[in-house]
Amino acid sequence: MTTTAQIPLTIIEPEKTSKRWRGLSRALVAYSFLIPWLIGFLGLTLGPTLASLYLSFTNFDLLQDPQVIGLANYQRIFTNDAKFWHSMQVTFTYVILAVPLKLAFALGLAMVLNRGIAGLPLYRALFYLPSLLGASVAIAVLWRQLFAKDGLVNVVLGFFGFAGPSWISDPSYSLYTLVLLSVWQFGSPMIIFLAGLRQIPPDVYEAASIDGANKVQQFIKITLPLLTPVVFFNFIVQTIDAFKAFTPAFIISEGTGGPIDSTLFYTLYLYQEGFAYFRMGYASALAWILLIIIACFTAFSFLTSRYWVHYND
Amino acid sequence: MTDTTTVATTPNVSGGRSLLYHVILCGVSLIMLYPLLWMLASSFKPDDEIFGNASLWPETFTIDAYIRGWSGLTVSFGTFFWNSLVIAVLSVIGNVFSCSLAAYAFARLKFPLKNFWFALMLGTLMLPYHVTLIPQYVLFLNLDWVNTFLPLVVPKFLAADAFFIFLLYQFFRGIPRELDEAAIIDGAGPWRIFWSVMLPLSIPALATAAIFTFIWTWDDFFGPLIYLNDASQYTVQLGLRTFVDSTGKSDWSALFAMSVVALIPVLLFFAVFQRLLIEGIATTGLKG
Repeated sequence: MTTTAQIPLTIIEPEKTSKRWRGLSRALVAYSFLIPWLIGFLGLTLGPTLASLYLSFTNFDLLQDPQVIGLANYQRIFTNDAKFWHSMQVTFTYVILAVPLKLAFALGLAMVLNRGIAGLPLYRALFYLPSLLGASVAIAVLWRQLFAKDGLVNVVLGFFGFAGPSWISDPSYSLYTLVLLSVWQFGSPMIIFLAGLRQIPPDVYEAASIDGANKVQQFIKITLPLLTPVVFFNFIVQTIDAFKAFTPAFIISEGTGGPIDSTLFYTLYLYQEGFAYFRMGYASALAWILLIIIACFTAFSFLTSRYWVHYND
Repeated sequence: MTDTTTVATTPNVSGGRSLLYHVILCGVSLIMLYPLLWMLASSFKPDDEIFGNASLWPETFTIDAYIRGWSGLTVSFGTFFWNSLVIAVLSVIGNVFSCSLAAYAFARLKFPLKNFWFALMLGTLMLPYHVTLIPQYVLFLNLDWVNTFLPLVVPKFLAADAFFIFLLYQFFRGIPRELDEAAIIDGAGPWRIFWSVMLPLSIPALATAAIFTFIWTWDDFFGPLIYLNDASQYTVQLGLRTFVDSTGKSDWSALFAMSVVALIPVLLFFAVFQRLLIEGIATTGLKG
C-alpha cells in the first residue's frame, strides 16, 4: 500500500525518498545474493562452532542430553590422558619434520625450474601430480605396500645389499613413512614458489653479479628476502594442513593409529573419541584445543612476520 | 600474479649446466612417479608376481585383478563409482552456484555490514572443520539425514567452503568495472549483470572452482566415513577402504586394480585441465 502512496511523492520530491528507497532495495538485492552463504555460515559454521564450545563443557554422548560438567573434560585431557599427550607428540613430530622438508624440496625444485630450461610445463605437471592424488585412499593403499616388509622400497634397497625393516609395521619407522608421503606432495607449494620467483626482476641479479655477488650470496641476499611473502604463505597453509592430516594415517593403520599408537595423529584420536567411543563432549574439547593451537600458531606467525617477511610496498 | 606459462626469466642456460638440470629433474620425476607406474603395472600382474618385483612390465599380462576387484565386495564397485559421481556432480553444481553468488556480492555490491560479513568469511578459511564436526553431525542426525548424501551435498549449496568464495571474489574483482557500468546504463540490475556480464567473463575461474570441487569431493574420505554407514551408499574411497580391510594383504593385485580405478577420474581431469589447475594454484594460492 505504501508504494502506491509513494509514487506521487517520488515525483514531487524525488531526491530524498527515492534515495532511501533505492538504498533499501539495493541492500535487499545484495542480501539476496548472500543468502545461501549466510544460511550456511550461521547454520553450519557459526552455530556449530558455538555449540561445540558448549559441548566441550559437557559429558555429551549422543544418547542422553548433554550435562554441564564444567572444566572436567579439559582437566582430564591435560592431567590424566596419556593418549592426548602422545597424539600431540606424534602430530608435532609430523608437522615439524614434514613441513620444512616439503617446503625445502618445493623451493629447490622451483629454483631449478626457474632456470629457463626446456620442458618446464611438462616437469611442472609431473611434479604436481602427486599433490593432486596424495589425499586419496588409493595412494595410502599404495604407500602401505611400498613400505611393507617385502614392498617395493625394500626390493630396491635389496639391489644395494640392504635388508630394510617392515617400515609400516615397525613403530620406530611408521611415522616417517607418513612424513615421506607428505614430502612427496611438494608440487603445489612448488608451483606457488615458481610463481613468486617469476616476480623477481632479472636485472636485480644482473646488478648483483656485476657487484661480484656469487650464487650463494645472491640466493641469501636477493632470492630469499624477496620470496619471503610466498614462503610465509606456503608455511602457514602447509602447517595448518599438516595439523589436520587424517586419511593416510587412518588407512595405513586401519583406523587404529598403530602400530603401538605411533601414527596416532591428533585428528585420528579426536575421531576415535567422537565416533568410535561416542564421547562427543570430550571430542569437542579436543577440537577446541586444536582450534586454539592453530589460532595461536597463525597469530604468532603473523606477529613475527614483520621481522622476517619483506613486503615490497 | 602474472601468467606463469610465459617464457622463462633467465633464458640461455649453457649447454652443460642445462644437461645437469635435466638429469636432476628427470631423476626426481622418475623417483616420484615410479610408485604410481609400478602400481599400474602391478594391477595387470598375477598376484605372485607383485612381491619382490620392481619391474614395470608384467611378465604375464592379465586383467583378472580388475574383474576380481570390481565385484570383490558384496556391493560392486560400479555402485561406489555411481555414488561418488552423484555426490561429486551435485557438489560441483552447489559450490559453483552458491560461491559465485556470495563472491559477486562481496566483490561488487554495496550493503550494510559488508565488511563485517567479509571478515567472518575470511575467518572461516582458518577454522579446522573438526570444530564444527560434532554439532553438524548432531544436526544432520536430528534431520534424519545420516546415511544419505544430503550431509555431503547440502553444505555445498550453502557455500560452506569459503575457499571458493575467495577464489571467485579475487577473479570478479579483476573484471573491469566499466563493463558493469555499461550494463547499468543499459538498464540492467545486479542479477542481470551477474548472469550476463560476470559469469560469462569468469568461465576460467568457474571451471577452476568446478574442477577442484570435483577432485576434492571425489577424494574426500572423512565426510563419507562419518555420514555413510550402508555399503550400498559407499563412495569409491570408502569402498576401497572396506576392500583394504577385508582382503588385508591377501589380494594386492585386486587392491591395486581398484586403486587405479579410483584414481582414473582425477587423472582424467589432470590430463585435460592441468594447465588450468596449475594456474589456479599459482594465482590464488589454492592448496591444490
